[in-house]
Amino acid sequence: MSEKEALVEIEEILQQLDAISFVAQRDAREALPMLAKESPAIRLQWLRAARDLFFHDREAGKAFMRATPSLYALWGDVQVWTTQALAFARWVNSWRALEGFMDQAGDVYAEFGEHGERQWYALGMRWCERSVEDGRAYFCTDYRKLADDEGIDGIESLLAPATALADKSRLTLKTYLPGAMIARRVIGTPGLKTWAQRGADLMQTGRARGEAYFRLENAEGVRHLLDELPGYRPRRHSRFLQLLLLAWFDEEIPLADSDWRPGRGRPAMECDGRSIFMPAVLSNRDEAVVAALHTAGHLRYDTYALEEIEALFAYRGSEHPPVDADQRITWRPLFAPYEARMFRFQILFDLCEDLRVDARLIASLPGFASRLSRLLESTQPPAGAAGAYFEFAFSQYQKLLRGEALDPRLDPLCDESARLLDAYKAAELLFADERFTPIDIDARSEAYLPGHGVNTGRPVYPRRRYDEIHDAPHADAYAGNKQTKDKQKGKTPPHSPEQRQNDPDADINLPRENTSGTGGRIGVGIPMPSKEVLNRGATRAEGEGIVPYHEWDYREQRYLHDWAKVIERTLDDSKPKRAARILEKHAGALKRLRAVLEMQKPARLAPQRRQPEGEELDIEATISYVADKRAGLSPEGNIYRRRAVQHRDTAVLLLADMSTSIMARHPGGDGKIVDHIRAGLILFSEALSSLGDTYAITGFASKYHDNVNYYVIKDFDESGGAGVNARLAGISGRLASRMGAAIRHSIKRFETVDARHRLLLLLTDGRPADYDDGGDPRYLNEDTRIAMKEAVDAGVHPFCITLDPRGGEYLPAIFGPGHYTVLDHMDDLPARLPEIYLRLRR
Amino acid sequence: MNNPTRGVEHDIIQRPDGGKAPFYIPQKDEVEIFRAAWTKRLPVMLKGPTGCGKTRFLEFMAYTLRQPLVTVACHEDLTSSDLVGRFLLQGDETIWQDGPLTKAVKEGAICYLDEIVEARTDTTVIIHPLTDHRRQLPLDKKSQMIDAHPDFMLVISYNPGYQTALKDLKPSTKQRFIGINFDYPDEALERKIVAGESGCQKPELVEKLVAAGRRARALKDHGLEEATSTRALCYAAELMSAGLAPLAAARAAMIYPLTDDPALVEALEEIIESHFGEAA
Repeated sequence: MSEKEALVEIEEILQQLDAISFVAQRDAREALPMLAKESPAIRLQWLRAARDLFFHDREAGKAFMRATPSLYALWGDVQVWTTQALAFARWVNSWRALEGFMDQAGDVYAEFGEHGERQWYALGMRWCERSVEDGRAYFCTDYRKLADDEGIDGIESLLAPATALADKSRLTLKTYLPGAMIARRVIGTPGLKTWAQRGADLMQTGRARGEAYFRLENAEGVRHLLDELPGYRPRRHSRFLQLLLLAWFDEEIPLADSDWRPGRGRPAMECDGRSIFMPAVLSNRDEAVVAALHTAGHLRYDTYALEEIEALFAYRGSEHPPVDADQRITWRPLFAPYEARMFRFQILFDLCEDLRVDARLIASLPGFASRLSRLLESTQPPAGAAGAYFEFAFSQYQKLLRGEALDPRLDPLCDESARLLDAYKAAELLFADERFTPIDIDARSEAYLPGHGVNTGRPVYPRRRYDEIHDAPHADAYAGNKQTKDKQKGKTPPHSPEQRQNDPDADINLPRENTSGTGGRIGVGIPMPSKEVLNRGATRAEGEGIVPYHEWDYREQRYLHDWAKVIERTLDDSKPKRAARILEKHAGALKRLRAVLEMQKPARLAPQRRQPEGEELDIEATISYVADKRAGLSPEGNIYRRRAVQHRDTAVLLLADMSTSIMARHPGGDGKIVDHIRAGLILFSEALSSLGDTYAITGFASKYHDNVNYYVIKDFDESGGAGVNARLAGISGRLASRMGAAIRHSIKRFETVDARHRLLLLLTDGRPADYDDGGDPRYLNEDTRIAMKEAVDAGVHPFCITLDPRGGEYLPAIFGPGHYTVLDHMDDLPARLPEIYLRLRR
Repeated sequence: MNNPTRGVEHDIIQRPDGGKAPFYIPQKDEVEIFRAAWTKRLPVMLKGPTGCGKTRFLEFMAYTLRQPLVTVACHEDLTSSDLVGRFLLQGDETIWQDGPLTKAVKEGAICYLDEIVEARTDTTVIIHPLTDHRRQLPLDKKSQMIDAHPDFMLVISYNPGYQTALKDLKPSTKQRFIGINFDYPDEALERKIVAGESGCQKPELVEKLVAAGRRARALKDHGLEEATSTRALCYAAELMSAGLAPLAAARAAMIYPLTDDPALVEALEEIIESHFGEAA
């Protein structure tokens, strides 16, 4: 084609476009002069591509034409990128992907060269072939973020796991990319594979759960990353921090977890006027201690006092907005007038308020100043817009720490009488200063000094002024503390809405998965609905009959407060006929057992002193007897020592696992497990009745952490007999086994018993498990282990009898060696159960 | 330390010999209450946490009143004959030996039953007739009754909260006593006490010590069964005046005896370091 023909065709196409769309021909005519240096043939090729794209999809054509000038400026080879762009016409609705391509191709070319650009393009086109949406996610994501300084290799390694995920689990790139980029920053490219593999496993258990993992929306998704993050973990040290705050501020300030996660700026502590929210990680211990003290300082010096906040709004000429459903005030109306420059003002306001609080803390808290200055010296100012804020704050703090005069605008804040409003006024003065460049929300967290963060981010529960809460002068901490404690008694704050949203088990609200079928671990078995059990406890009103217990989370190394909810129920399934049958069947065993009880001779004998008869003389008693006798008295002849079993002051609680799995057949015996358990419990009850020991028999079954059912079959003060036997004969299996909560409740039940020795016998057929344990057997194992320790601390001796032949694998870790026994032979249970008790009570 | 009477056996009943008075600074009106109770010879119960100065107060009062003081530390195996007395064999005959309580009743001393709750309940009952208008001690084994000497006075100490709910004085016992409540002294007073008791010559050290101790007290009931006592502060000050570094002294006297709980130790260390460490 000659040059002339080309020019003619260009004109023809333009007219053709004109006939169809004014916009199209205008865009084309605007772009064409940019290509004036190119030959008419190339220009024609470009225009044809533009036309074809426009005819394929108007938006695609427009995107192509509009991005041309900027792309051409960076990359002169029109033919190459035109051909690349034209390829998008293969798919319907691909214009957004094309738009992304056109926007970035020039920069990619400039940075990676032509070969690199071709690789980048090819990668994207492969995703387009899978799905245009994936292609769009690829091309619209900033290539620099994709590469993360590793060039095309970086992009390839980032996308490698996604390919497998898309093929196997149909995970979209849009879901994968944002989380993966954050994950890579935390755990590096090598760790990405394991991270993705974990997610793939979760995708198998449930799509929503897996996707939330990749989006870093649930605890599982974040936890894996957090484990890899370096730094100090305040949550693991929450008890230490809480004790510290209690010591310094005479107040029990609840510490909660903030929803900070990698990718959300620098972590910092926050406060809602009631609790302090701690991020999962802070850079070091100094920062954690400073942050905790500083944040508590805000509570101490009334940043969140209603009176102070009201003064602020009054100054602004308005009233504070109505409190929300949780009785909280939001700060937003204060910042709203600043519109786009809102964050700028917020940072300055926070800085002023921080200075005011820290000035007071430095004066009142020994050691705070030196720790703060140590922390400040170890940090580097951030780059970008946040730098100016940081450096200003840094210099002011240095002056504050050295005792020099601050910037005159801030000086009034060091005064003891300075209030929140003064900080606000100072912030207004600073706001007028042009050195503080506009800043966006992403850079905001960088503008704060270490140990400091946004004060006004959360809506706050307004509180009373500190001196109203603490009547006594602060100087006398001990006296003040006592009074505050009395006032605080019984006023544990409810969880704030954020905490509720952060429910780590939020995913259990998702549609239930179908868990029926064969298989399942021992202890869980096949979940079966039971008529005695209501649905999840969540719908039930809080309070009545529900006892909350903490639960140990080994991953966080801390307690989840009031996490497990135990509901006491009675078992009204009474089967007297079955009980009679069982007694009949085991009559022989019972007879032998009774004989054992009559003549049981303990191996180790404890000497009893001052006995009326016995094997040897009690020297002290004898002397006293002879002396009394000679003195003319008639003392009682209790002068012997006897080696015999003392009347033991023992109370025993047998806690039976009543999970679904006991309804199964046991490989090591005849019939169902539950038959043997019923028989064992009845014989146990009979034996203990005849011994006269105080005993109780209870059972438990759980479904989720907030619904742990605790069945009291025989209470301590009840007497055994036909009624109890009938109830024992009526037990059946249901749901799962959350042992820790049941054990804690059992410990509590022991409180009503006055006995020297307290024995907790746990009868189970498997390891602890529940529907919401996330498939992590270690979680409830660890919780049970901790519950056992609590039992020992409470003076209760725990002992586990298991029917799980593999019990030896995990029980030593939970109960400790020698504190459990594995019954391999199921048929032995009825006779062995009372025997084990007799052995234990010696 | 160079008291010649130390390390030598002597009778439990000893009238104060007019030496140096035990160091005691009154917190509130306890001296007046005790004096009034003494005038009427009413039995007294001293309540308060460990190491707040109950025993020292009584020593001080006995000294000021010039009364002999008999102290019995009660324990769970303490029987009534340990208090009242018993028959002993000597050669061919039996002789009666008075217990400390009987001696005090006969000779007119102040009898101090320390931590009375620890003793068995049968022992607490024998003091009943001594604590009301009768002021008598029955000697069951001898079928005798002793009317108490006019100067006899019974004092018990009782630390509520220290014992479990299972161990408490019977209300019938409690209500026979005049109660004097003790607590840790306020800050200024505590400084004086620590300085006076330990002879520590550095007021700034004592000030820090007392401030740290008061902070540590806030942790009571959070795993700390017994709070940092005034006695512990005195010990710390004594260690310091014996030449130990303040940080080490405070740790040795104020943390390690109190708890093994790592979080508590960390928190207490933090408090002490803030006061005595390089940071301070």
